Amino acid sequence: MTRPVGIAATALVCAAGSTPAAVAATLWAGAPMAGYRSIGDRIFPFYALAGGGSWRDRAAGIFAEIASQLGPLPAGLPLFFASSSYQMGAFEAAPAPLNLPLASGAFIGDVAAWLGLSGPCRGFANACISGFSALAAARALIAAGWLDDALVVGCELPNAATPAGFAALELLSPDACRPFDARRNGLVLGEAVAAVRLTAAPARWCLAGIATGLDAYSPTSPDPTGGPLAAVAVDALEQAKIAVTDLDVVKLQAAGSPGADLAEANALRRLFPDTLPPLLSFKAAFGHTLGASGIAELAALLACLDAGCLPPTAGFAESDPEIGLSPTREGRLLTARRALLNVVGFGGGVAAAVVERSA
Amino acid sequence: MSFVVATASMRYTPAELAAAARNAAGSGLRRAGDLTRLALLVALAALPEARRRQPTALFWQTTSGPRRETAHLLASMGSGDGEPLPYDFLATQPALAAVQIQPWLPGLAAASATPLDRTGEACWALLLADALAWTATRPGSQVLCAHLDAWGEHAEAHALLIAADPGEAPLARIAPVAASTLPLIADIPELPAILPAQVAAGNGCALAAPAGLTLALEFVRP
Repeated sequence: MTRPVGIAATALVCAAGSTPAAVAATLWAGAPMAGYRSIGDRIFPFYALAGGGSWRDRAAGIFAEIASQLGPLPAGLPLFFASSSYQMGAFEAAPAPLNLPLASGAFIGDVAAWLGLSGPCRGFANACISGFSALAAARALIAAGWLDDALVVGCELPNAATPAGFAALELLSPDACRPFDARRNGLVLGEAVAAVRLTAAPARWCLAGIATGLDAYSPTSPDPTGGPLAAVAVDALEQAKIAVTDLDVVKLQAAGSPGADLAEANALRRLFPDTLPPLLSFKAAFGHTLGASGIAELAALLACLDAGCLPPTAGFAESDPEIGLSPTREGRLLTARRALLNVVGFGGGVAAAVVERSA
Repeated sequence: MSFVVATASMRYTPAELAAAARNAAGSGLRRAGDLTRLALLVALAALPEARRRQPTALFWQTTSGPRRETAHLLASMGSGDGEPLPYDFLATQPALAAVQIQPWLPGLAAASATPLDRTGEACWALLLADALAWTATRPGSQVLCAHLDAWGEHAEAHALLIAADPGEAPLARIAPVAASTLPLIADIPELPAILPAQVAAGNGCALAAPAGLTLALEFVRP
């Protein structure tokens, strides 16, 4: 058995807005500026969410906002949860001595409770492709007829360990995110919580294909030829039975990393023999939200496409001759039916998804 | 149709795990975490040499997660004044395990790590459902499903190798069913250790569906 899998609802809270539609409107009007956070003696730009209080209270409040956007959910709805840091920020804030929970995914139970869910839970910890891993697993089970609905949540909330790791590896930009730009010099991280409700019932958008893979070139940067990323995109397109020439837009990974952006450009040249559709990156609009990024950027993209508006790619100004591709410079009206979304992850994960508007 | 082609189960003290990883990988996993070492050891036990170049996905679950490394990181961040340099923590992240063991498993093409949200049980039903969906849509592929835990005093790994190609001596045929009348097998981390005997003893066994799912999985003699 295999059946189409629809996207019944989305929810998103990120630095660019507190609903998917608000994010789309913000991007159309011009992306927000990043704030800053310090790591040791250094300062880096960072896209933070608003709100204060304890880590858990703040997280609970954000999930209450997500629940509000989604509307009533059946208590037994299966939860697929993606994050690269889980509740690390809560651990960091706890007084010593810290007793780590015995189950490393115990935070998923907290999230389920905040969303009013008591059904099966499943977590994913695959760094930046976690969101697409969760979407792929949920989609496979729905397509096979083993589930009818699932909620897929991506979550990246503040902690000191994650940015410290990226800073230690010299992967962060000291000033700004510049996707595909000649002056790009690293990532800018951000917070987000996002959700996508998948369903076997008819819906306006279909998750037509999604594939994950492994790029073993290096733990911190993809194969510069773009081969592994192109391969997962081909896999997703074949699942969707869609030709590259039928794509109306590509949501790039394009996080402003010197090496990864070039690899993605090479992957796109492998995929598209001739003309490319418009290219769009969200990373300079609300940051690289790591384990949440796949779901957050899917929710943002669908909101833009539902509004019929393709926003400019914030942070892009100067073409890089080596990349040879330019993301959107100005906003434009666009009726898009099919989109490809790329994700490249720390640790060698690569993933791609194809969404298609239902006829 | 898919098959359980092989199973593997192992348990180590910390010293035994380090020694076994050295024997298997030389110094190649010197900086890797215990979960990565377990992943390699259980993969080498379950995949014969001839299968290590076939397209393989590694789907693994863990209750413990990188517990020791997380505790060390939190302790060091709490006591340090300068910029944290969490290289050891980064090197032991679950997302890195597949890249770290890929040199010994050249066919490894995808991986996914699943932290479990409760103790004392596993989630083989969902892991195996993922594996069946994977093999059904990728001819010639195989999936190593594993449960890996690294606690302070011991580490353990259990795995099932799932493939559409049964090989020479498959242990069981595995199929999703709406409901099963076969005896149930417990969804616990040690399932791979007890499955072969349960299949061989009678007509087979079944893994119940988690609440909310409309599938059970039957294991029957091939």
